[in-house]
This record gives sequence, structure tokens and C-alpha cells, in this order.
Amino acid sequence: MQWNHFLYFAFPSAVCWAIAAILAFKPQHYRKSVVLTLAGVVIFSLFIVGMWMSLERPPLRTMGETRLWYSFFLPIAGLITFMRWKYKWILSFSTLLSLIFICINIFRPEIHNKALMPALQSPWFAPHVIVYMLAYAVFGVATINALYLLIRKTEKQASSIALCDNLVYVGSAFLIVGMLFGAIWAKAAWGHYWSWDPKETWAAATWMGYIIYIHFRLHKPSEKKTACYLLIFSFILLQVCWFGVNYLPAARGNSVHVYSQNL
Amino acid sequence: MWKQTPGYIEGWTICSGLFITGIVLQLYSGKIAPDLLHFPINLISGVLFLIGLLLFHLISIKVKGIQWFAGYAAAVTSLSSLLLLVIIMGLTRQLPSSYDLSRENGFVRTGFMQMTVSWPFILLMLYFLWILGLVVLRRLSRFKWKDTGFVFNHLGLFIALFGAVWGSADLQRLRMTVSMDTPEWRATNEKNETVELPLAIELKAFTIDEYPPKLMLLDNITGEALPKKEPVNVSVETCPFEAELLDWKLEIVKDLPYAAGISNSDTLNYVEFHGEGATSALYVKAHNVTDDTRKEGWVSCGNYLFPYASLRLNEKMSLIMPEREPKRYASDVMVYTKSGDSKEASIEVNKPLSVAGWKIYQLSYDETLGKWSRYSVFELVKDPWLPVVYSGIGMMLVGAVFLFISAPKKI
Repeated sequence: MQWNHFLYFAFPSAVCWAIAAILAFKPQHYRKSVVLTLAGVVIFSLFIVGMWMSLERPPLRTMGETRLWYSFFLPIAGLITFMRWKYKWILSFSTLLSLIFICINIFRPEIHNKALMPALQSPWFAPHVIVYMLAYAVFGVATINALYLLIRKTEKQASSIALCDNLVYVGSAFLIVGMLFGAIWAKAAWGHYWSWDPKETWAAATWMGYIIYIHFRLHKPSEKKTACYLLIFSFILLQVCWFGVNYLPAARGNSVHVYSQNL
Repeated sequence: MWKQTPGYIEGWTICSGLFITGIVLQLYSGKIAPDLLHFPINLISGVLFLIGLLLFHLISIKVKGIQWFAGYAAAVTSLSSLLLLVIIMGLTRQLPSSYDLSRENGFVRTGFMQMTVSWPFILLMLYFLWILGLVVLRRLSRFKWKDTGFVFNHLGLFIALFGAVWGSADLQRLRMTVSMDTPEWRATNEKNETVELPLAIELKAFTIDEYPPKLMLLDNITGEALPKKEPVNVSVETCPFEAELLDWKLEIVKDLPYAAGISNSDTLNYVEFHGEGATSALYVKAHNVTDDTRKEGWVSCGNYLFPYASLRLNEKMSLIMPEREPKRYASDVMVYTKSGDSKEASIEVNKPLSVAGWKIYQLSYDETLGKWSRYSVFELVKDPWLPVVYSGIGMMLVGAVFLFISAPKKI
């Protein structure tokens, strides 16, 4: 399996997800949309498994590879939300967001290299990154919901902001686990569990953003607008942490978390 | 952004007060000396902090006014203030905490470039820890089983942060360069001072396993990898081996992982060589499928002893072998302790060795000699407060599970 086979898996998956998203608007097609979304997920996972086997390492190192996982987890996060709370529009959003990341990987793939440097050869590698990607996907859905609430002031706002709350709790759980796994791994690889490396600094900022949201919501449940802005702000922090640090002048050439600049 | 509801004004006032105090302290007395809180000062001040917390908590039972400190408004404002500093930290290039700023001017004097040892950061961090401690005490004093997740999350964070802050001065990170077959017990710290250790390390062997050699195309004039922006390469995993690069068909006829380059007047030839300084070489036959030209010759990445060799394919491009990437590097060592014990072990990246309270990490080697390096560089780390931090981390991991379960509320 190679990166140029990506299209043959991504396209059928995207078609499944898109049809599922349309069907989701009709309650009588509920089952079909669940099955179709799952079918897309299975097709997509075949590519990930194939890449994993042919690379002889988990495809988690380059930005392109983490985007792969992100576009994989988004429909899953969307599906869970859809099944749990029956939001008929959520699959459209998760599909759209996933599609954006698929397109980036098709049109702007980054150098995909087989070699895995010694620092990344650790049992902590896969859980650390996969849990983080899962958290990012859940927060992505939460952010979309917050934007939706800000733009369309629906009557059911009370229940919709509750969706944000649920997603933030779930996402934060994954975020905390990802961060702590990272700390334990850093101790084994670099000698200290927290070194305020630029990526770690922004990871802390992201974590604080979502923790502030949780406490603010508990304190002022009626101030939903502020809460939505907080959620969007936290997601911006998350983006800086994820790929912003690769471009920030303060972090450039200064972070031990940048792995993809070499050939 | 915030509606000015009771509680927040107090919070912002306290945080700004601490921030301004921090700035003033920073400007007049400079940063906090990183080793200020050495044992036993850290232990004493840590215990005092905890006693202070307990007293404050006990008083707050009677004096309702100060219960605010264990409330949401205090949590949100102190977290937000700390977040602001973390964002500033993320946007400014950070300098090592041992770097002297006292002669600098302007922005640098604010200490924001050494955020973790600056007064505003430390004050706001301690204030945050204070609030977190009060929250934990208040919840514990009226504990119900449904608070389990809450306690794991908050107490876990408190313990981890407490251990990290008070233990930071006791953390020792030393660097030791060990030459082959010569026991070494002296290391250098961050200030480049020599430290003698109660243990000695002797390097028995140093090895690097490499990934298979790669071939790629280089522009003869600019030296850029081709095609521009999306360079292609092939990894030569077996021999004989066939591959394609752009419109060139490559046939790898010979693979010498241990080779010596021998130059006769005008040709460079590679032969098998198992001695020190051997390099990697491939003999490649190339055939251009578009214009049917054929080239063949040696391609080698070279090293400190032998020259590199590229195969010039045409006017535009050459075939080269980039330096081989290390897959694993390891030092076989013998470690002697003062008590007379000796221990044979292998140290590699991600697999540190624990001896007598120290963790020994593989850090570096002589990069010009590569796999023929005659020395190995280790980092030695001692962190006596690590168990405290890890117990906090463990509690937070359990807390995260509770966070996950507690999420689906009825809508």
C-alpha cells in the first residue's frame, strides 16, 4: 500500500459518508446512514492498516499521516454523536470536515518517509498520537456545534449547548490521557516529563482553554454565547498546538516535536 | 468578554495584582534563581504551604467571605490569567533558565523569555495551586461517593503540580561524555560545572543500526532534490533490486554495506571492507526509458574516511545516496557504583538505564564519525520528586476515565 493508492480508498469512503449524511435528514433512513457511515470507516481503515503494514511502522509521524487519522476519527465521532443524540445535521458537518482533510492529503501530500527515528520508536507512540487525534476530532465536532449555535440561534439552544458540554467532557478526557501518556513517554525518551517545549506549551494552553470552558459552563450556565466563543478560542489554541508550532517563529528550529523536516 | 458579575471582578483584581507585583519584583530583583528551592528548603516551604492551605480552609468554614477562593469564579480567573502567560510563552522564544538576563533591556527584562522562572508566572502558578488545594479540601471535607471522579481529577492535578513545582530545584540533569574503554565519573551540569558522581560508566561498544540505503535524484546545478517540492526516493532493501525514479529504470547489481572507496587516477571504485570507517555503496545500472540512454557506476553516501560518489545521469541530474538514517543507536556499558556493584547494560534511545537513583539516557555520539564513533554522550537525570508527580499523573488518568463516563448527561 502506498500513498498514491489513497484516492481509491478515500473516494469510496467519502461517497459512503456523503450519502449517509444526506440520508440522516430522514428519520426512516436512520439505519441506512449508520451502516453506510460504518462502511466508509471500514474502507478507510483498510488504507490505514495497509499503510501501517507497508511502512512497517504506525503511520503517525508526518503531518499528512496525522491528518489521515483525523479524517478517520471525525466520521466516527460524528456517528457516535448522531447515534447517541440523534442530531440529523451532525453527519453532514463531520463528513465535510473530514473531506477537507482528505483533500489536503490528496492535493498537498507531505513527504512520506518510511524511516522512524529512534526517539519515536516507543510503545507510547501510537497511543499518544491516536488518543490526541481522537480528542481533536471530538473537539472539532464541538466547535462546529458552537459555530452553528452562534449563527443560527435556534429555539432548542439549551439542548444544543448541552451537546457541546458532552463533547468537551469526552474530548478533554482523551486530551488529558494523550497529554499524560506524552509526559510519561517524554520521561523515557528525553529525561523529563515536561520541558515546556513549544508543542508542550501550546498543549498546556489548549488543555487550559477547555478546562476554563468546563468551569465557566458550570458557573454561568445561562451565558451560552460567551461559552461558544470560549470553545472556538480553545479550538484555535488547539490548531496552533497541532500544526501552528511548525510555522511559529518562536518555535521554529526550537522544538523537539518537529519530525517531518528531514527527507 | 465577561459580564461583570460578582466574583469575577475580585478574581481579575487579584490576578492583575499578582501579575503587577510579579513584574515589579522581576524588574527590581531579577528572575527567581532556578536552584532557590533546593532540599530541604523546598520540603519545609512545601509543608508550610500545605499547613497554610489547611488553616485557610478551616478559617473559611467560619468566615464565609473567603469561601470565594474555592469557587468557580476564582478557578476561571486564575486559570485564564495563567493561560495568558502560557500563550505569551508560546509566542516568544524561550531561553534556558540558566541564561543571565540582568544586563538585557526592554522586553527581555520582563522575564517573559524565561517564563517558567519569572516572578509573574510563579506567583500566578502558586495562586492557582492555592485555589486548587482549597477546592480539593472543601470537597474532601464533605465527601460523597459521587465526588470520586472530581477528587481524582483535582487532587491528581494538585499532587502532580505540587511535585513539579517544589521538586524542580532538586532535579539534576547532567551530561557525560564517555570514551571507549575509559571509565568516567565526572559530568557537567547546565552551567558547565563539573560534578563528580557516585557512579562510573565505561563504554564497551557503540553501535548504530541504519535504515536501508536510499537513492534519489539531484539537480546538477541547484543541488535540489528532484522533482522540486515533492522529491522522490527509493529504499534499496535487497540486492539485486529494481526500481524506478522518474523516467529512469534502476537496477542495483551490488550492495556493499561495508565498503571502502579506492580511487585510481580517474575512477572511483568500491570494494568490500569490514574495518573501521567502512561506508555504504551501491553499484547501479540506470536506463532511461524515454531516450534509451544507459549509465552505470557506483553510488555512495561516503563518510569521514571515504568520499561520496554520485552517478551523473545526464546534463540535468545525478543519482545520489543521502546519508543513511539511524534506526537505532545503542551503547553497551559497564556501570560501577560506589558500593562496589557493577552492572552490564545496553542503553538506547527510549530505553534509559536506572542505577542508584539515576536514570541514564543515550543522548548523542560523535556525529562526524557516525557509527564509528569512539565516544557516547549520556544524560544522567535524578528527580527525587518523580514518585510524587507520577502518583498525581496516575490519579489524573483515573480521573479522565470518570470524566469520560460522566459526560453523557440527559438532554
